[in-house]
Amino acid sequence: MAEGMVRLENISKKFANTYAVKELNLDIKTGEFLTLLGPSGCGKTSTLRVIAGFEKPTSGNIWIDGKKVDKIEPYNREVNTVFQSYSLFPHMTVADNVAFGLKMKKVSKQDIKNKVKEALNLVQLENFAARKPKNLSGGQQQRIAIARAIVNNPKVLLLDEPLGALDLKLRKQMQLELKQLQQELGMTFIYVTHDQEEALTMSDRIVIMNQGKIEQTGLPDEIYEKPATKFVADFIGETNLFEGKVMQTNDTYATMECAGQYIIIPNNQNFLENESVYMSIRPEKIKVSAHANDKVKQLKVIMKDEIYIGSVTKIIAAFPDGQEVVAHGSRDIFKRCSQGSQLYLSWEPADSIVFKMKEKLEV
Amino acid sequence: MREGTKKTLFVFTILVFAFFYIPILVLMVFSFNDSKIGTVWTGFTFDWYIRLFSNSQIIDAAFNSLFIAIVTTVISTVLGTLAALTLHRYGFPGKRTVGFVFYIPVVIPDIVLAVALLVLYSFLNVKLGLATVIPGHVVFATSFVILVLLARLAGLDKALEEAAKDLGANEWHTFWKVTFPLIYPGILAGALLAFTISLDEFVVAFFTTGPGSNTLPVLVYSMVRRGVSPEINALSTILILAVVLVIVIVGWRMNRMNKQQGGI
Ligand SMILES: Nc1ncnc2c1ncn2[C@@H]1O[C@H](COP(=O)(O)OP(=O)(O)O)[C@@H](O)[C@H]1O
Ligand SMILES: [Mg+2]
Repeated sequence: MAEGMVRLENISKKFANTYAVKELNLDIKTGEFLTLLGPSGCGKTSTLRVIAGFEKPTSGNIWIDGKKVDKIEPYNREVNTVFQSYSLFPHMTVADNVAFGLKMKKVSKQDIKNKVKEALNLVQLENFAARKPKNLSGGQQQRIAIARAIVNNPKVLLLDEPLGALDLKLRKQMQLELKQLQQELGMTFIYVTHDQEEALTMSDRIVIMNQGKIEQTGLPDEIYEKPATKFVADFIGETNLFEGKVMQTNDTYATMECAGQYIIIPNNQNFLENESVYMSIRPEKIKVSAHANDKVKQLKVIMKDEIYIGSVTKIIAAFPDGQEVVAHGSRDIFKRCSQGSQLYLSWEPADSIVFKMKEKLEV
Repeated sequence: MREGTKKTLFVFTILVFAFFYIPILVLMVFSFNDSKIGTVWTGFTFDWYIRLFSNSQIIDAAFNSLFIAIVTTVISTVLGTLAALTLHRYGFPGKRTVGFVFYIPVVIPDIVLAVALLVLYSFLNVKLGLATVIPGHVVFATSFVILVLLARLAGLDKALEEAAKDLGANEWHTFWKVTFPLIYPGILAGALLAFTISLDEFVVAFFTTGPGSNTLPVLVYSMVRRGVSPEINALSTILILAVVLVIVIVGWRMNRMNKQQGGI
């Protein structure tokens, strides 16, 4: 069974009468930085707690480094956790906090001293060894929590939204430091976050979760460029989602009707006529023009608002039925336009992604 | 706040304090009164203290009370801590009912428990003596220990125990390295409460102690029936000072501990 570092097979966790995690299958490679990403309440923490051993799965099996751990207590699993709220021991000094795991493993006093020093060096808090946790800032407590976990050299490090409580600037800095640390140590990280930007910048691989299930597993760019489900398309980045019916099909393209207008979509999923579908198109893939152009298929919309966001301007426009669509464009094109102007939108059909409606029933 | 309201509240506070402490102050002052009749001040003396310490009845009773209080404190602190930990940590069918049962001794009239114990002892043919007082005191004191400790445990972050286990500590080490140090102030407060409850308990002691083995409150009661002697004032003064001293020391230590822990 030993393939990769952690293997979750058909893991379900039921609380009372709802599933926090449902039939989850996942293989995590050695040395991988894997991120569980999903909205709050989707079961990320529950998944970590099952791996750490704090929750017994309702069904399914777990392997860590080839060993089945279902019956192994948390204190005998070779994983360590960086908790969401840090959970530093308030009655111990920073050094004692970091030394705790080593003491439990009966490491010799001298070794403990050296390793604690090394770990504190790694997180640049060597001068804080004698302090109590409450005398540290949030960012410093965060680093101690990391030092306390990695000093044990676990096979897998579990991190539950470890940067959630930090302010934006510190969070960005810690993201980089954590990623560097992981690469230096070559340790397997399972990282939980609900922040997609964090996930996209740090991860080797991302698992998108929704309502206890995996929606998609993939590399950061795959997740962004080729969302597998409507949920992923909607959750990652900004996108425009249209709901409509397939009208005509040929081998390469199909036509979709949406709010009285026709949109060309790639026919890569054997669409049937009259089938209900969703189409997703990212704002940056949409070309905006103030003029009609007979050579390309354009959608007519009414401009509602423009928002300057630095490098580009965000245009918010609306279909006649009121559905809004967001597009990016450079500012000077829209100088002559104002609220209520007619705009024409077009895009490469290949840039759009279509999902069959049936998944609406699953979600 | 309006000036008038402020003044009224201030006077009210003074009155409440006076109501609490004037009787005690009077008692303390009259323990130094050089007169057998307790109501008129005639001069200063240490006589009553000297007589107190040469009264073997009182000294015996004090040792009896101390013995019962210490045994009660040890038993009820251990039992109460274990019960509180169980109630806090484990869910089991009927948990709420069990928790409620532990509160009953707090609200039940002392006399009911005293009589119930008496009936039980006579049913079991137990000869009354000093030791027969202990079970009644343990029942009361354990309930209070549980009450105090459950409050402390409610403020204990469960994630800390999980963090300990995550770092390789088994149940035993988790308890002694993390849980115990964090609830220790609660255990100490519970023990102190148990000690004082036992020390000044009268009703149960009166009913369940055997002839010739008086506790202090029972002895004081029988002495007072023959009129308040200044000796009793002296005894009370010593008791009050002892209790205040203990509370100040414990309070200071707990304050320091809480500060060290960041006041969880
Ligand atoms: N101990 C528990 N008892 C009951 N329900 C729980 C418990 N822990 C989590 N849940 C539920 O399981 C779902 C997933 O929770 P969680 O794993 O914490 O999500 P996330 O970490 O993704 O926000 C939520 O609906 C939550 O309410
Ligand atoms: Mg969570």
